[in-house]
Parts: sequence; structure tokens; C-alpha cells
Amino acid sequence: MTGIDILFYILMGLAAGAALAILFSKNVFKSALYLLVTLLALAGLYVLGYAEFVAVAQILVYAGGILVIILFGIMLTSKISGHALAVGHRHIASGAAVGLGLFFLLARYVKPSSDPNNLVPENTGDIGLTLFSEYSLPFEIAGLLLLIALVGAAVVTAHLKPKA
Amino acid sequence: MLRTDLLVYLGAFLFCTGLTIAIIKRNVIMVLLGIELMLNGSNVNLIAFNQQHGEALHGHIFALFVIIVAVSEAAIGLAIILRVYRYYQSSVPDQISDLKD
Amino acid sequence: MQPPSPLVILALLAPLASFATTSLFSRGRQKLIAGASLFFMSAGCLGASALLWLYWDRGPILINIHWFATGRNTFDASLALSNQSLVMLAVVSFISLLVHIFSLEYMAGDAGWKRYFSMLGFFTFAMQGIVLSDSLLVLFVFWELVGFSSYMLIGHWSSRPEAGRAAMKAFIMNRIGDAGFLVGLMILWTAYGTFSVSGILSLPDTAWQTAASLCIFCGVMGKSAQFPLFTWLPDAMEGPTPVSALIHAATMVAAGVYLLVRLFPIFTANALLVVAFTGMITTVLGALAALSQYDIKKILAYSTVSQLGLMILAIGMGVVDAALLHLLVHAFFKACLFLSAGVIIHSLHQAQPAHLHFDVQDIRNMGGLKTQFPLVFITFLVGGASLSGIPFFSGFLSKEAILTALFVHTDITSWMMLAVILAVSFLTVLYTFRMTWSVFFGKARAVQSLQVSPTAWSMRAPVTILAACSLWLMVSWNPFDFKGWMLRHHEPSPSSLPLTLFSILWVLAALLTAWLLFRKENFNTNSVLRNAFFADKVYGWLLQKTIKGTSTAVTFLDRRVIDGGLHGIAYVQVICSHIVAGVDHVIIDGAVKGIATLARLTGRITRSFQGGNIQLYIFWAVFAIIIFIISSIK
Repeated sequence: MTGIDILFYILMGLAAGAALAILFSKNVFKSALYLLVTLLALAGLYVLGYAEFVAVAQILVYAGGILVIILFGIMLTSKISGHALAVGHRHIASGAAVGLGLFFLLARYVKPSSDPNNLVPENTGDIGLTLFSEYSLPFEIAGLLLLIALVGAAVVTAHLKPKA
Repeated sequence: MLRTDLLVYLGAFLFCTGLTIAIIKRNVIMVLLGIELMLNGSNVNLIAFNQQHGEALHGHIFALFVIIVAVSEAAIGLAIILRVYRYYQSSVPDQISDLKD
Repeated sequence: MQPPSPLVILALLAPLASFATTSLFSRGRQKLIAGASLFFMSAGCLGASALLWLYWDRGPILINIHWFATGRNTFDASLALSNQSLVMLAVVSFISLLVHIFSLEYMAGDAGWKRYFSMLGFFTFAMQGIVLSDSLLVLFVFWELVGFSSYMLIGHWSSRPEAGRAAMKAFIMNRIGDAGFLVGLMILWTAYGTFSVSGILSLPDTAWQTAASLCIFCGVMGKSAQFPLFTWLPDAMEGPTPVSALIHAATMVAAGVYLLVRLFPIFTANALLVVAFTGMITTVLGALAALSQYDIKKILAYSTVSQLGLMILAIGMGVVDAALLHLLVHAFFKACLFLSAGVIIHSLHQAQPAHLHFDVQDIRNMGGLKTQFPLVFITFLVGGASLSGIPFFSGFLSKEAILTALFVHTDITSWMMLAVILAVSFLTVLYTFRMTWSVFFGKARAVQSLQVSPTAWSMRAPVTILAACSLWLMVSWNPFDFKGWMLRHHEPSPSSLPLTLFSILWVLAALLTAWLLFRKENFNTNSVLRNAFFADKVYGWLLQKTIKGTSTAVTFLDRRVIDGGLHGIAYVQVICSHIVAGVDHVIIDGAVKGIATLARLTGRITRSFQGGNIQLYIFWAVFAIIIFIISSIK
């Protein structure tokens, strides 16, 4: 067992444990931070899996972007209502049933892995080339989607304040 | 060497945990967190399977697109949550049940 | 043979069209209403006459109209054309048309003009429905419609309390009979599984037949004013006179006799005996009551009761064809008599000065009217002669037909009935003579000073036509042979010359007696007869007595038996209830609560599918996906 293996197991444990912590937590703010832990652990796993670019994107976009947005959302909603955010659980039985059921169903069909072949340690340049050649149209469409999401989010929240 | 099967287990676990969170949490923002978790679970799968086909980078590209979509979804989702919150004065999905009628 | 659908539809639906169009016009458009009504009635009359002309003696035709089906039971609304229904159709529409024409003058200026004409059309339509329909169920519907429209027409002058009461009485009396009819229908349905008359007649007899036929006869009793239920008919004189003519001649009371003729084959011998005796009682009762009335319309009404009884009697003795002939003949001469009386009543009423008020229908106030109403005098005389059965008039021939058919039988019942008929015809001559004499002959009494304006053509024409139809030519060319065009297929009966001679002599003797009796204008009559043996009062008294007796008995029962029993029961109950309460608490409440909880749980589960909760939608969606994966992967 090498150091990388140990790191791998630690990161996996972190990701799974943080996810479980979100599940059992009753505090929205802490849940957001647990999500951050999960995301960073996943980014570490991506690095170990020779997916550095995805890992960086994960850290930048998720940890830097999405989580900030979520924290803003938490603070804004609690500020608007003036009372504590409602937390707690409903439909625990059905949620657990579905979650466990789906997990075991999926787990049944996982096969032991064969050896990976031809892993390229450094592939950021390849990703760039592929994105701008083979995937240029989806890339442009993704840009358009982001633009639309930006405008849409602005429009949806634009009239939050009543007209004076 | 990373064990792909373990990564796949992790993906499935994250997905199911996210799903359970989306179902049982009483707060809309928590539901959103659950959805993010589900997306991440699928990303883990994509990365893991990409290890089997080293030189093709489709898994990575797909994961990037998933991240992009997740960003858009988070932005729009939070905007809608704020809007709904303003309208219903609540972020509890139980109380937002106009779909019933 | 191709069913003559357009003509049938014309004859059946033209009166309905009259009803519909007259209902549409506004109240003030009297000329328009009358015009439309007359147009449709003429069309219907033409259609019925054409049918009679084209399809006479072509055998029965059934026009199948499917109505609806429930399960394996199908209900038809078929129409049946036979000689009987064709003749009835023509007579009903013809007399209805004449009554419409007559009403133009009689009802002039009446506030309810529109209602009157639309209801006349509806009345005729309902009667045509009875005549034509083959299904007893449909027939029953029309039967009730006839009852309803007669209610509307009898109570036409609704401001008069007597009119309302008479209408109600007619309606209720008919209901009593109809209840029996309905029970009869149920029995027939159970026994035969069909309502079709032709179908019932073609099926073999069943054990229930006597019951069924007697129940149906109950309906006939009500509609045709037979013995226990006849009191509504004289009271129905409160309606306008043309309506009385229509009710008595063609539509309402004829319906019962017609139904009896149609369903005659299902009547068993015992049922027929009941029918015959009911007819016998009715005919004697009616004739005696008619002998002592003062109101001219009441006399005619009781005479109708008597004549209907005669027809029922004849049917009861199995003389169906002759009874139907008498029904038709009676329709003409009774309409003639009623309309003639209507002319007199109408003219006297108009000529009557405001300060001099007397009952214009009372024959004691009339007298010597033959100079003032020369035409009506003749028509009334013709109608009366026909009613009395004087030779050369139609009534003589139809009575001869009945008598001859009875004469050939030799059993005791036939002879008894023969004697009854002879007695009744004697009485008929008496009351007809009394009525005619006191109205047209003798010295004028209250009406002496009245200046009667000439009668309008719309009143003269119908009475003249009806009088012409009361002659012997209506039945056959030979004034002494009733086997005219209607009874051509009648079974040959032995030479009836002695009988004919005897009945001629009998009528003459009756006339002589009447002349001797009534020439002095003796108006003293027996109050028992005048009130038709107090039938109404007897009914009322009987009802009162039975109800009072029953209530006394029930009170006693209540005080002694039920109350005492109740106290005892109460003690037992209290004891029991304590025991039960314990059981209740533990077992029943528990069970109920358990069930309630179960129900609530089930409800909550089922409700949660569509609770409007997005998270549960997600849950169910994923749940379905899991199931889908499991089932598709194996």
C-alpha cells in the first residue's frame, strides 16, 4: 500500500463522510460547508485520477462559485424572513428506502476493475485541443447556456424589491 | 493505481445520498445541495470510467459540461428560490404546494 | 308492405306541432294562434283520413321503432296500425278538428285562449299516441299525458274553485285507476317479458293473466269512468263545453274502452265477468242518475257514463266489434249533443242581461227554445234520437249489433245482460226525451225575454256535420242492417228480424211512456238519483269512517299494548345497554377506531401521491425508476 493509496482512501472517506454529514445535519450553513469538504475531496480524487483540469475546474467553479452563491442564498433567505431557517427532515422512510434501494441496485452491477490503460499524466493541453476542435459546438452552446442563466437569474431576481 | 470500482461505489453513494437529501430535507436550499451532490456523484463516475480509456478524454469533457450545467442550475435555482421565498415567505417545500391544485 | 311512415307521423305529430307552435306565439296573437292550431289539426285530420282510406282492411301493420335497451331487455316504441286504430285515429282527429272550430266562437275573448288551444292540441296528441302505440309502456306514458291535459282543460277556468276541484278530482280518480294499470303492467312484464301488445297477444297464456287483466281494467275504470271511479266525469262538466265534448266523445273516456278492445284477448273468462258486471252497474247507475239531473251538461255526462258502461258490458260479454262500433257512433252523436248544448249555453250566456242572473245550464230555466235555435233544435234532436236508439239513426244500429250478438247466446248471464241493456235503453229514451222536451218544447220560462243573436258559422258548421254523421249512413246503407263497412267481417249471426222489430217497438213504447211522463214538465226528481246514489258522499263517509275506526283502534293499541310493551322493553334495554356499552367500548370502538385509523392511513398514503409536494414527486419518480430497472434488467 503506497502513500497514494492511503491518500485515496482518506479522500474517499472524507467525501463519503461529508456527504453523510450533509444528510444528517440540521444546519443549513454547516451543510454548505460539508458540501465544500466533499467537493474538495472529490477534487483531490480527480487529481489522483489524472484529471487535473477537472479538479481545478471543480475547485474554481464549485468551491469558488457555486458554494458562494449558495451561502449568499442562505443568508439572503434568512435575512428576508427574519426568523431561523426551517430545517429538519420529512418523508424519512421513503427517502431512505429510495436511497438505499437505488444504492444497492447500483452497487450490484459494479464489476471489479481491470487495469487502466495508457493513462496520460498531463492532459490539460489535450483537453483544450479537444474542447476547441471536437467539442467546439457544445462548448459554444455551453457558453450560451451560461449567458442565458446569467440573464435569467438577473431577470428572475430583478423585481425582488417592491417598487417604491 | 486507483481502483475504479471503488470510485464507482463512491459515485453511486454520493448520488444516492444526494437523492435522499433532496427528498427528506425541509429546506429548499438543502434540496439544492442534494442536487449538487448528485451531480458530483455522476462526475465521479465519469472520471472513473475515463480511466479505462486513457487517451480519449470524453469523460473529462463530459464532467466539465456537467460542471457548467451545475453552475447554471445553481444560479437559476437560487434565483428561483429567492423569488419563491419572497412570494410565499417560506423556503419550506411542504408549504409550497400550489401544484396540488 | 312498406310502412306508411310519413302519413302516420303526420297524423300523430300534427297535434303536437299545434301544441308547440301555439305555445310559441305571444298571448295577444289570438288569430295567429287559432290559425296555426286549425292548420295543424286539419293536416292531422287529413293524414288520418288518408291512412284510413289507404290502409283499411290491409291487416295489422307494425312500424318497429327501437327505443332503448338495458342489458338483454329491449324496449320498443313501435306503432301499430290496424283497422281499430285507423278508425279511432280518424274519428279522434276529425272530432278534435270540429271542436277546435267550435271553440273559435265559444272561447272568443277568453283570457286563457292560448293555453286553451295549445292544451287542446296536446290532448289530441296524447290520445293519438294511445291509439297508435304498440308498446304498453309508451301507451301508459300517453295515458298519463291524457290525464294531465284533461286536468289542464277541465280546470281551464282556474279562477272558479269548482273548476279546480273538479280538475283535481278527475286527476286523482284517474290516478287511483292508473295505480292498478301500473301494477298490471308490472305483472305483464314479469309474465311475458315484453310490453308490446302484439308480442303479448302472440305469446301463450300464463297463470297471472286474470290478475294482470283485472289490474289493467282498474286503469280502464278510472279513464272510462266505470262504477267505483265514475264520479269525476259529471264534475268534469266544469270545464268549457267543447272540452266536455272532446273528453266524452273521442279522447279521454274512449281511451279506456279502446284499451280494453286492444287487450281483449288477454282477458280471462273470470276477468271478463268482472268487466261485464262493472259495466252493468255503471250503465244502470248512469241512466238512473241522468234521469234526474237539472243541469243539461250533467244529464249528458251521466248519459255518457251510462253509454260507456254499455260498451264495457258488451266487451265483458265478448262483443268487442259491436262495442267498438258503439264507441265510434257514440263519439259522433255525443259530440253533436254536447256542442249543441254548448251553442245554447253560449248564446244564452251572451244574451243574458247583467241584472237578470240565472243558471243558463239549468233545464228548468229553458223551454220553448225551438223557435230561437231552429238549427240547434234539429241537430239536438238528431243526436238525441241517435242516443235513444231510434231507427234511421246510427245509435240504433250499434245497439242492434250488441243486442244481436248477445241474443245468439243462450246462457243465463247473456239473457240477464240483454234485459239490462233493454232496460237501460228504455231509461235512455226517457231521459233524452225529458231533456229535449224541457229545453225545446213547452213554454219559455226564464229565457223567454232574451234576445238571442244569430249563431256564428263556426258553431253551426260543426254541429251540422256531427248531426249528419249521426245518421244511419255512417254505419251502413241499409238503415236496419248494422253490418256496414265496419262489421263486414263479423261472424254471421241468425236473422235478427224479430229482434229488430222488438227493439223498434220497445223504443216506441219508451217514447210513449216518456211523453206521458214528462209532457207536464214535472221537475220533481229523487235526490238519491240526482246525486247518483250519493256515491261521492258514500266514498267520503266510508273514508272518514274507516279512518276514524282505524285511528281509534290504533289509539287503543298504542295506549295499552305498545306503551306497556315499550316500558318493559325500555327496562330490558337499559340493562342490555350497560352490557352493550362495555362491549361497545372495547370491541366495537376498538374495531371502529382501528378501521378509521386504517382508512386514515390508506387515505394519507393515497393522498401523498398527489400532495403537491415536489419532493414526494421526486420520490415516486425514483421509486418508479427503481422498479423499472429491476424489472427490465432481469
